[in-house]
Amino acid sequence: MSAIPVPRLALPRAGIFRRFASQEALLALAVIGLAIAVGFVNPRFLAYRNLADILLGNAYIAIAAIGMSMVIISGNIDISVGALIGVLATVSGSLAVAGAPTLVAWIVPVVLGVLVMAAQGAVVAYLRIPAIVVTLGMMSILKGGLISVTGGKWITDLPQGFHLADLNLLGVPMPVAIMVVATALAALWMRYSASGRAIYATGGNAEAARLCGVNPQRTVVMVFALHGFFAGIATLVYATQLRVIQSTTPPGLELTVITAAVVGGVSILGGVGTVVGATLAAILIAEITSALVFVNISPYWTDSLRGGLILATVIADIVRRRRRASRGRRI
Amino acid sequence: MKARYLTTAAAAALALAGLATAANAAGKWDGGDDLATSPLECGMGPAAPAAPMKYDGGQPTNAADKAGKEIVVVDVPKLIGIGYFNATAKGIQDAAKDIGNVKAKTDGPTEAKIDEQIKFIDNYITSGVDGILFAANDPVAIAPVLKKALSKGIHVVGYDANSTPDAREWFVNQSPFNGIAKSMVDAMAKETGEDGSFAIVTSTFTTPNQARWIAEMQAYAAKCHPKLNWLETVEAQEDNNLSFNQATTLINKHGDKLKGIFGMTSVATPASAEAVTKAGQCGKVAVVGLATPNAMKPYVHSDCVKSVVLWNPIDLGYAATYVMRAAVDGKLKPGDTSVDAGKLGKLNVINGSEILLGAPYIFDKANIDKFDF
Repeated sequence: MSAIPVPRLALPRAGIFRRFASQEALLALAVIGLAIAVGFVNPRFLAYRNLADILLGNAYIAIAAIGMSMVIISGNIDISVGALIGVLATVSGSLAVAGAPTLVAWIVPVVLGVLVMAAQGAVVAYLRIPAIVVTLGMMSILKGGLISVTGGKWITDLPQGFHLADLNLLGVPMPVAIMVVATALAALWMRYSASGRAIYATGGNAEAARLCGVNPQRTVVMVFALHGFFAGIATLVYATQLRVIQSTTPPGLELTVITAAVVGGVSILGGVGTVVGATLAAILIAEITSALVFVNISPYWTDSLRGGLILATVIADIVRRRRRASRGRRI
Repeated sequence: MKARYLTTAAAAALALAGLATAANAAGKWDGGDDLATSPLECGMGPAAPAAPMKYDGGQPTNAADKAGKEIVVVDVPKLIGIGYFNATAKGIQDAAKDIGNVKAKTDGPTEAKIDEQIKFIDNYITSGVDGILFAANDPVAIAPVLKKALSKGIHVVGYDANSTPDAREWFVNQSPFNGIAKSMVDAMAKETGEDGSFAIVTSTFTTPNQARWIAEMQAYAAKCHPKLNWLETVEAQEDNNLSFNQATTLINKHGDKLKGIFGMTSVATPASAEAVTKAGQCGKVAVVGLATPNAMKPYVHSDCVKSVVLWNPIDLGYAATYVMRAAVDGKLKPGDTSVDAGKLGKLNVINGSEILLGAPYIFDKANIDKFDF
């Protein structure tokens, strides 16, 4: 296991600045810097209520980005996650309205998420079909299926107890608590456990990983299954926040989640990145959306800004790789 | 390194400030289009008669003279089994009962699919009916089968969703843009006071229907509620959670200044109501918007929302049936300017071959439970 390349940890001469020049530190600074900058234009932005609302309303994106990061780090991609969350939300809401116990309405979508994603992972790993093709197909199936089955009808009249997102955990709103706990656990697991490191190894160099005793196929299936788990958890937060569940899948959600992972420092080439970065990036993206309203920037700019952010991160990633390579250090 | 972060942050702050001043200069409400507007008269006065337009519908060829005789009418909505079209079907049955000599039935696809809908209509043409009512899944694709019906002497009347005009005799239009705009702005002025400040949550600035409504709302507000103060329009796609977040941002940004939010879509309106509820601003921030009753019931019952604007689908089906009967009886001919629609009274002809249902319907605490869609 020790032969697995361990990027980012293996910086023996790393001074304090080098360590903090990581993507996570940059993002944390960006989150704080943006808040201060917008605070100058409109101090209301810094009100506790507003900052809390930004976290609350977007925690589900950060949670989904955890699994997405794992998938991308393993050298794959998933574009079906938005559609899956839409479907799982409808499943969960339908169960709740039909009178199923609340716990069932919460657990079934998580289990279903794991199954659907694990199946996709198996197709990717064992049939060797590129993940983008498999998940593109699944996205269409889920989107079309959802509209067909619901007939466009929304779910209303959700029972009171169903609203997980309205609960508090030790005084912290549930969506934020779940986001923090899930991110922390996933980060620790990916950094210190053998299976966590296997994800990096598989995405960095599958053949080398295999020679080191990692089973890349099994790792990919596990990664997708975990991604399905986090998608299920994200669904619970997403679906229980409002009083209605739409019969359409949340538009562009998969792209927002992928953006969070990539801006969070997860290399699109695989093998590099952390879930902490992805969560911070999800927060940054949510903060930008809110900031645009606060400083009266036309929403026409939202997409351009988001695109700029992705390009900047990807370019920075490539530049960093080159620099390290020229210093003779392998990634 | 440290200095570089600081310069980056400073540059970002400057860039934000620069962009901020650039926006928000024009006099037009964001999200409205540039087409000509035709605001209605203020207050409760009758709608101004529109400029007459030449009849542009199609007529059945050699239709049997069934004036005063019993007719068999089939209603083929976009799809069956959903609350909205259950309501239009109920209106059709109500009208059939009131008229007496109409036998009506509703049948159609269980999914909103145009090819399925065409098959249903084709089958009823073959089996022989006197009239077809429809709400089109696609205005162009449905035209050939409707023209076939006309060519076989079957009367054809549309409602809810139009076809190309020459494929049907008449279309009952539930919602001219200026009518919705008037209802929305009147409700807002009533709830916030004449000098209230409000913001708009729409899908995107370029969505045709929403852009038309916003432009008409601005024109009507300028004419009848000139002191109402538009703050801004935000985009929220057709996305529940984004709508909720955007409405929350508006509340946090404007604080006490914000007295009302317009929801321009059936997604944005309940999400805005949820945002107002969660922020504890019920009674302080009014939500007025287009929405379907089921999604709004919790907020209407909690008194957080007072006016939900839409048309009444029961009335829509009712009117369509009266129009069908009048067309068969020869009481509604090309060039006529109004038609009698039973308990709805006289309805006006607009745009050549469309029947105007009337002012939009306001769902409130007293009536919202009567609807299930």
